[in-house]
Amino acid sequence: MKGTLTPSRLALISIVLGLLMIAALFAGCTQSTTTTPAATATPTAAATAVPTPVATTAPAVPTTVATTATPAPTYTPSQSNIVAFTAASLSGASKTIGPSFTAAYPGTTVSFNLDGTQNLKAQVENGAYADVFISASNAYTNTLNSEGYFVPNTVKTLTTNYIIVILPASNPANIQTLADLAKPGIKIAMEAKNVPAGTATLAVLNNLANDTYSQNWMNQTLANVVTYETSEPAVATKVSLGEVDAGFVYQSTATAAPTGTYQSITIPKKDNYLQTYTIGILKESKNQAQAGWFEQYMLSSAGQNILTQYGFTTPK
Amino acid sequence: MLEAVLVKKLRDYTLDLSLRAAPGKITVLMGTNGSGKSTTLNIIAGLLAPDTASITLNGECLYKTDDGTDLPVEDRRIGYVLQNPAVFPHMTVYDNVAFGLRARRLPREEIAAHTADWLGRMHITDLANVKAGRLSGGQKQRVALARALAIKPSLLMLDEPFTALDTDSIRTVKGLTRRFVQDMHIPCILVTHRVADSEEIGDRACVICNGKMEWEGIPGEMPEICSVCHCR
Amino acid sequence: MIPQRFRPKNYRQSLTYLVAGILIVAVTLYLALPILALFLRITPDEFFSALHDPEVTSALWLSLLTTVITLIIVIVIGTPFAYFHSRFSYPGKMVVDTLIDLPLVLPPAVAGVALLMLYGRVGLLGRYANMFGISIAFTTLAVIMAQIFVASPFYLRQAKSLFEQLDPAYEQTARTLGASSLRTMAQVTLPMTAGGLVSGAVMTFGRALGEFGATIMFAGNLPGVTQTMPLAVYVGMESDLSIGLTLSILLVIISFAIMIVVRLIQKREAGHA
Repeated sequence: MKGTLTPSRLALISIVLGLLMIAALFAGCTQSTTTTPAATATPTAAATAVPTPVATTAPAVPTTVATTATPAPTYTPSQSNIVAFTAASLSGASKTIGPSFTAAYPGTTVSFNLDGTQNLKAQVENGAYADVFISASNAYTNTLNSEGYFVPNTVKTLTTNYIIVILPASNPANIQTLADLAKPGIKIAMEAKNVPAGTATLAVLNNLANDTYSQNWMNQTLANVVTYETSEPAVATKVSLGEVDAGFVYQSTATAAPTGTYQSITIPKKDNYLQTYTIGILKESKNQAQAGWFEQYMLSSAGQNILTQYGFTTPK
Repeated sequence: MLEAVLVKKLRDYTLDLSLRAAPGKITVLMGTNGSGKSTTLNIIAGLLAPDTASITLNGECLYKTDDGTDLPVEDRRIGYVLQNPAVFPHMTVYDNVAFGLRARRLPREEIAAHTADWLGRMHITDLANVKAGRLSGGQKQRVALARALAIKPSLLMLDEPFTALDTDSIRTVKGLTRRFVQDMHIPCILVTHRVADSEEIGDRACVICNGKMEWEGIPGEMPEICSVCHCR
Repeated sequence: MIPQRFRPKNYRQSLTYLVAGILIVAVTLYLALPILALFLRITPDEFFSALHDPEVTSALWLSLLTTVITLIIVIVIGTPFAYFHSRFSYPGKMVVDTLIDLPLVLPPAVAGVALLMLYGRVGLLGRYANMFGISIAFTTLAVIMAQIFVASPFYLRQAKSLFEQLDPAYEQTARTLGASSLRTMAQVTLPMTAGGLVSGAVMTFGRALGEFGATIMFAGNLPGVTQTMPLAVYVGMESDLSIGLTLSILLVIISFAIMIVVRLIQKREAGHA
């Protein structure tokens, strides 16, 4: 009786297996880079329509592409894929960048590895393969550069981002100003200090403490932090779920979210931390030409428009 | 004196029999496999609930469906050695035999005295400090017997006590059982499938087929089981 | 005359030994070398100085505290549960059986999300706790709850199996000898299943100690409150390699100790029977 496979037992096993498969599918979406439900923004498609290739030559004319240190922006149709290690805060934007880039350079696709920049850096340093590296932190970029990972002269400023405070749509703790962040009993989510957004937030808090509020305010605010997440989107998730009262994220996250996901409190520019994103081509890339096209694309008005849509600030 | 009338519906048949066991005598229960012998013992011991039954031991009612009497297992004062003699392997022989006495919370000196007595009677004194798990089949059987009798039961029940033993041990255990059943003047029910056993130590024999008592009488006169039970 | 060595029988035997040897060496190296690498990439000096780092000590303390509490809860509640579950048949027993196994195959991140959805501040149950000012998510309690959820099956399955396999004759005999249910449990059932129960407990401890996915989702990451050793390794690996390595090594040492304890218990059990 113990081992017999009665119909009812079979039915039960099937149901449980079905649930497990659904769970596995769900888990696949909640891997290391937690996708912010809010960040699945669909910015007006019109803006991303028909980006023109930066290449000066017509697509039909194949030109030998010199594989020199600075790849020539000459477009040759081919089937290839480039791997872009990309800071997690570009998760939302990447969904639009991918197809738009391929539309502009048919035959070339880009796959994004989205994670906290600190993790991406560690991966590259331990031998992971990537063609392009988009970093949210100058410090990490400089380290990688000095370690010789980038192709010389390919490291460019891509975009910038400011820090902003977001609150759940219902604002359960009734936070109206930055001063309220120090109120006892509220829960704040922040990035860990080795995540670029975390370093930025700490700098912002320091600035605010020095300029406007007090050191006491900063201490109280930090005492209210209940979790140091390992990526910026994870903070946004905790806020959107309403599990915390406030979170420090990039302005892009707030802008790109569908209306009504968050309330937000802006931080004065003078106290804010301008996070500079850089893009660079890695020496180990085997698709230097294609990587070059991608970098060009991202630096072009087409790429920059996408980034602006997702709330990033064009670098001056 | 044990008087038991019990009915229990089982998977393949209904157990329905009445049984008497006289004090100082060994009543042998025989029958084919699965005929309900062990079930009967379990019901008398209180480990299994019957559908309807009336069980009295020395005039005391252990179970009666009519008035709802159902004495708990622990209180029935029945010494029961199951088919697996179940000596507690992690305890010494001494602790095994003393187990029932300790459960009844007798004074320390009494426990010591009784236990020593029974170890001696069963000739296992020299094994007193041995972990019971290390004993041979025959030794385990004697320990189980000592353990069951140490609590001064009003009834002794043995389920297939000889199956795992060698000839010498069988003879020893039989001798000991007979001797103490008579000395203590308690009824004893012994389940076995070997006809020789019923003839050697049985005072009375019963044959059960499919839950019904088909024959009762003197062991020497017992007919062949399959002729009574119509088995192949 | 063919030399002995090359007779077909010996040749085949030598080949078998060779293949067996290669396989054993390959598997051993595959498992052992990464562990070895942990030790070789850090100097003893770095290791011992990292041991003083407050991040390391707070993670170590928190991990041990939560795991021990988890273990106690699982044993105290799980043992009677497994006992009743194994001894009685009740409606829905099969469902419960399946549920006991579920956390074993469920990805830990999913477990974390599920716990958050239920016990979070806006969760189905958590919202009521919140009304009384009780927070569950992002607390040390959440760490313990996550550990219990993912690790308890190791103990429950083991206990259930042990009780099922224990010949009822032992407990029945004890009862007929006059022992109450409690005495029977304490003096017969538990001592006879102790070895296996301890193995199950040790496995539970190991799993709870290494729990990461559900913890970071449900309890968050706050040093001293919810940053257990696995979380500290993950966060520490970037900021300070020596901290990450030190914590990893500590976890390896504890895991090894766990395994040795289990082996010793199993050896003792074999000697018993």
